Amino acid sequence: MRKLKQLIGQASAAPFYQRKLAMISAGASSSLKAFTQKAPTTTLEELIAEKRATGDPYSSRWNKDRAPLVVFQLEYDSETSLYIGLGREELAGYAEALRRCWSLLGLRRGDGVGIFDYGTSPVSYLASSAFTPYLRRGAADALGCVVICNDGGANMSRRAVEIIKYVRPRILFLRSDCLHPFALEVEKESISLSDYTGALVAVENEAVLSTADREAYEKRLAVRIYRMLRIDAAMFLAVECPRCRLLHTWQDLFLVESPAQDNNEGANPGPTPLVITNWFAKSCPAIRYVSQVKATLEPAGCPRGPKDVRIAA
Amino acid sequence: MKAQRGRFYPDAMDTWPEAKLRRYQLQRLRLVLQHARRGLSFYRQLYGEAKSRPGAVRSFEDFARLPTFTKKDVLDAIRNNKSFRTGIESRERADAGVLCMTSGTLGTSFLYLPRRWAEIRGDSLARAYWWAGLRPGMRMLMAAPAWHSLAVQETRVIHRLGVTCVVPWGTFLPRHASGFLAAIAEVRPDFVSIFLPMLYALLAECRRQNLRPADAFRSVQNVLVVGAPMTPLSRAKLREELGVKDLFEGLGNPEGLTAMECSHHGGHHIFVDCCYVEIIDPRSGAPLPAEKRGNVVITSLIPHGSAYIRYDTEDVGEILPGSCPCGRTWPLLEVYDRRVNAVEVARKEIFPYDVRLCVDKVPELIHIPFALLRGRGTAQLLKLKVQKPAGGAGEVLASRLKTHIKEALGVEARVEWTEELPQRWKGVAVIDEENEGRPRV
Ligand SMILES: [Zn+2]
Ligand SMILES: [Zn+2]
Repeated sequence: MRKLKQLIGQASAAPFYQRKLAMISAGASSSLKAFTQKAPTTTLEELIAEKRATGDPYSSRWNKDRAPLVVFQLEYDSETSLYIGLGREELAGYAEALRRCWSLLGLRRGDGVGIFDYGTSPVSYLASSAFTPYLRRGAADALGCVVICNDGGANMSRRAVEIIKYVRPRILFLRSDCLHPFALEVEKESISLSDYTGALVAVENEAVLSTADREAYEKRLAVRIYRMLRIDAAMFLAVECPRCRLLHTWQDLFLVESPAQDNNEGANPGPTPLVITNWFAKSCPAIRYVSQVKATLEPAGCPRGPKDVRIAA
Repeated sequence: MKAQRGRFYPDAMDTWPEAKLRRYQLQRLRLVLQHARRGLSFYRQLYGEAKSRPGAVRSFEDFARLPTFTKKDVLDAIRNNKSFRTGIESRERADAGVLCMTSGTLGTSFLYLPRRWAEIRGDSLARAYWWAGLRPGMRMLMAAPAWHSLAVQETRVIHRLGVTCVVPWGTFLPRHASGFLAAIAEVRPDFVSIFLPMLYALLAECRRQNLRPADAFRSVQNVLVVGAPMTPLSRAKLREELGVKDLFEGLGNPEGLTAMECSHHGGHHIFVDCCYVEIIDPRSGAPLPAEKRGNVVITSLIPHGSAYIRYDTEDVGEILPGSCPCGRTWPLLEVYDRRVNAVEVARKEIFPYDVRLCVDKVPELIHIPFALLRGRGTAQLLKLKVQKPAGGAGEVLASRLKTHIKEALGVEARVEWTEELPQRWKGVAVIDEENEGRPRV
């Protein structure tokens, strides 16, 4: 459990976690089970309260003397803005998560990839080293894809349709809240979406498009729609697998808990909030971050990624 | 560019003698033409139809005889090919690249920007940011609209200059102003790169929050603005309100123009390492000398990705006469507006920028939005709609404004006050009266 000890050691250098982790016994880092039972969780409300109390933009989570190379303001509807700081290691780990999402969706060398989201969404800024300073290799660089972004406002739907028509991306990632205006624009242009693109991927921060909505849009647009989950405060990404239709993520990058389930007490308690610990976010740690996404963990074993963590949301 | 103690430091190219610069540019033009002849089908067709011989170009005069093309030609090629691939871009498969877009009233065009393009153009742009005071170790605020090539270039600038950055959520549209303002006040950048209409939106947000702009901008030393021209008076007012050392205005387009003010603010030095600029008569296509307004025609000197050669931007500009007191030899350019925004009054071609200069002479009206009203054909009177300033409007202000317009532009004006003006995306609006008063966007 060297990895766990290291993470706790690094996190303790950040004032926010120093206080939290000071209370736990040394035994918490002896095993993952002990860690999930003893280490305190982190909530969005705590990050907001810490930011308000200290004025520190990173909610006292940044654990280095030197300033972060890149700081992103996060997409949360809170009264005060939240930020994450990234160094080279965070950028590399986070982009690797996006690369795996792209691979799972079947993206390969030479494919075009469209993104209908803001440049400040990790779905965009991790896509290419051209978009983010100090990012050595984005998902497109790693896989050899050509990527094009659009701004994520509903009024940019027309331009998104132009991307579809003239770039013919194998996959278009788009914000869930852009699905409706995008669908209207597709209908206005009366184009058959599946002639131009293989699939859409609907992405949200700390939420997942409902199955009913997904099915309705799949029917309306006559194209496959997959779902992708961002949990930006924990630098987390997971994407729906075309084979098993569950969200996949990776245990070497994230520790994912679904607490009620882990308690293993009798009957299935149903979906509970996903709790994320990030293994690569060493300068701006996320330890047992309780997200707003309710889900259940499913056993591993999908042929597309036999060891991947699978989430039903 | 050369490294100094492992860090970027601008070289002396910006003070090269004119003859040396001209030799360099001609050599680069020939290199780009060679690149076009080898692999870019758009130019093979364009030059074939015009019976031009790009291989025979030996001088700037030869070059000026090659045909120009406009955005419409690019959009037609996209529609005909049903693809972003128009043959303006090379395909560098081994070199990872991204596609960016330009948008405008006519439609969206695409630029293929491989890594090498981003390195060359970004390294060139780093000099502009250096002039504006960005230094290693500083923190810069950048917007991240990844659809635009400036984001790709700024990414390289930040890396090259060894600065860190903060990126506010969203995009540079006014509805994201509160997030941008929070990022400035809370993460405290030393340097801000921003779209001018967004800077005005930040000032409005400060007023809404009852916050002194200088307090919000306390950490900021310099600001670099793009997207719309500032008049000297509006710059002075902005500097005072924001409490920053200076504001610099950058000019550019993704197809191949970078031009940047130095601290003398007497126009924009053309970045001749990457772009070649001509001013032409829009009717005859003949090259125009300094001090004559005409269409700005640009050629990118980067033989990678999308390579624009004699691209008529349909912007109106001029090369300014004389040399800059800063000692840099790169020519000075001023760009006023899109040609479609010209309003003809008493046989004079007037642009919103010309009127802005007059409006700013009335201190109560600095930063106050206005629009020009344009009827069909030529008018005898310049008609303006001006938003009422906070302190109220009236005949006295209108009369002072009309006097300034008469003095500077030689035309009579009619001023109409209005409560709220729909602010056009870039700078001030031109409203076509026959178009039910809807602003052009
Ligand atoms: Zn699967
Ligand atoms: Zn100068």
